[in-house]
Amino acid sequence: MDVQFFLDVFPEILEGLQMTLSLFLWTMLFSTLLGLVLALMRLSPITPLRWFSAVYGWLLRGIPLLLLLFYVFFALPEFGDFFTFSPFRSAVVGLTLWTASYQSEAIRSGIISVDKGQSEASDALAMTKSHQMRKIILPQSVRIIAPPFTGNAINALKQTSLATVITVSEMTGITRGIIAGSFQTVEPLLALALIYLALTTVLVFAQSGLERVFRLKT
Amino acid sequence: MAFVTIEGLTKSFGDNEILKGIDLEVERGDVVSIIGPSGSGKTTILRSLNVLERADGGHIEVDGRVICSDRGKAKIQFASKKELRSIREGLGMVFQRFNLFPHMTALENIVEAPMAVKGVSRTVAEKTARELLESVGLSHRADHYPAQMSGGQQQRVAIARALAMEPSIMLFDEVTSAVDPELAGEILLVMKRLAEQGMTMLVVTHEMGFAADISDRVLFIDHGKVVEQGSAAQVLSNPQHERTKAFLHAVLERAPMDAPADADDTHWPANDDAAHIAAAAHHSDEAKLEALQTEVARLRAELDATRQQSDSAQESGV
Repeated sequence: MDVQFFLDVFPEILEGLQMTLSLFLWTMLFSTLLGLVLALMRLSPITPLRWFSAVYGWLLRGIPLLLLLFYVFFALPEFGDFFTFSPFRSAVVGLTLWTASYQSEAIRSGIISVDKGQSEASDALAMTKSHQMRKIILPQSVRIIAPPFTGNAINALKQTSLATVITVSEMTGITRGIIAGSFQTVEPLLALALIYLALTTVLVFAQSGLERVFRLKT
Repeated sequence: MAFVTIEGLTKSFGDNEILKGIDLEVERGDVVSIIGPSGSGKTTILRSLNVLERADGGHIEVDGRVICSDRGKAKIQFASKKELRSIREGLGMVFQRFNLFPHMTALENIVEAPMAVKGVSRTVAEKTARELLESVGLSHRADHYPAQMSGGQQQRVAIARALAMEPSIMLFDEVTSAVDPELAGEILLVMKRLAEQGMTMLVVTHEMGFAADISDRVLFIDHGKVVEQGSAAQVLSNPQHERTKAFLHAVLERAPMDAPADADDTHWPANDDAAHIAAAAHHSDEAKLEALQTEVARLRAELDATRQQSDSAQESGV
């Protein structure tokens, strides 16, 4: 192990951090919104919406993310310009569609964990269903949603590394470049692993902090 | 036309026919208690009234507004969602398990619906909420979360929450059943004062002594039918039907013979700043209740004893 080489490549790989984080944050934003919509569809009294959500979950959780990324980047453009995205956007679309299927499960289980008496009391007070969801049900389900949500976030963060295969130059892509140019693997891969570990560790701490907050409040 | 009209109300859960055609009329200002054995369908009547359960058949009308009806139709039809919400604004409901919003303080619990549903401003809603909290003896609990309160206190907040919508009728669904027996009194006191203020009330209860105290009318329900109804004195001390007699007999038989404290000994916890309200309520009770009290005095003593025992029996899941 060449310590000097390790110290040299570390900042080089860190240059990809911004790209990794922006893949991650856009993915979390969109997949949480889409996951919420899918969860509400899954719990809807309208049968076709329930089916759509169920089929979506079955499909997206049943295929590898790598295949999905290939599909979005290489196959979708065949359907026209509207479906032709830059590598970065393809990666965000693929990661979002994939993560949303897991987010929807997390959110759904949080919603159904809230006691039925809460919606009955809200009904009896003449609240609309959307007000109930926003002010009564979702705030109470956050505590249940937080652990699987963090799990999904950690997964999404690690899976951003796959974006390298559709030419997105994030940390893993940069590392591959270094390996190809130097024929040295130990140092760059160690540096890459340490950065991912640091990021996922932050998420784990964020989760336990979040849980403490909600435990205090209720 | 009565204020509340229920006609031929039927409801089944699967093969289990819970309500087999209930007829009930409640006039404005009436306090009607519904008693009967577990599983007789008492609660389902209340829940059908504000459509927490959807009736299978029958006609329900409150204040001239139709909630559901099968008159002249093959199948029962319900009011539109919007109409239903509008009707529900006038129906205050208090649940056995309180169902307070655990992530909100007592005050927030009370102001939420008036602000969201009626568009009341926060200032006005909070002012009303504080008045209501004071009237149920809980001014000092405004900023407490439900988990920080006793069952009796939570239930009083729940009553205040329902009252904040200014309902024209209050529905009480076994509101003391999930509360320690020694805390039931503080809830019953609030209800008694509401009744005295002229609130229209429909009360499902196991508290026989309390039903005798406050009710203009008592309904005995068994196997999904109204078996007997009349004044508290008629139904409780002089039942005409065998099943009513059997029910009351069963209730009495389980009571210890050395009857403990009278139900009128309801009092706020020592730390409550509204003890004076309780005292005032006691005072105004006396004149009004005297006539009824002599009428049912002997029965009451026995029933009150029963109440405590049936409460504790219920708590252990019997």
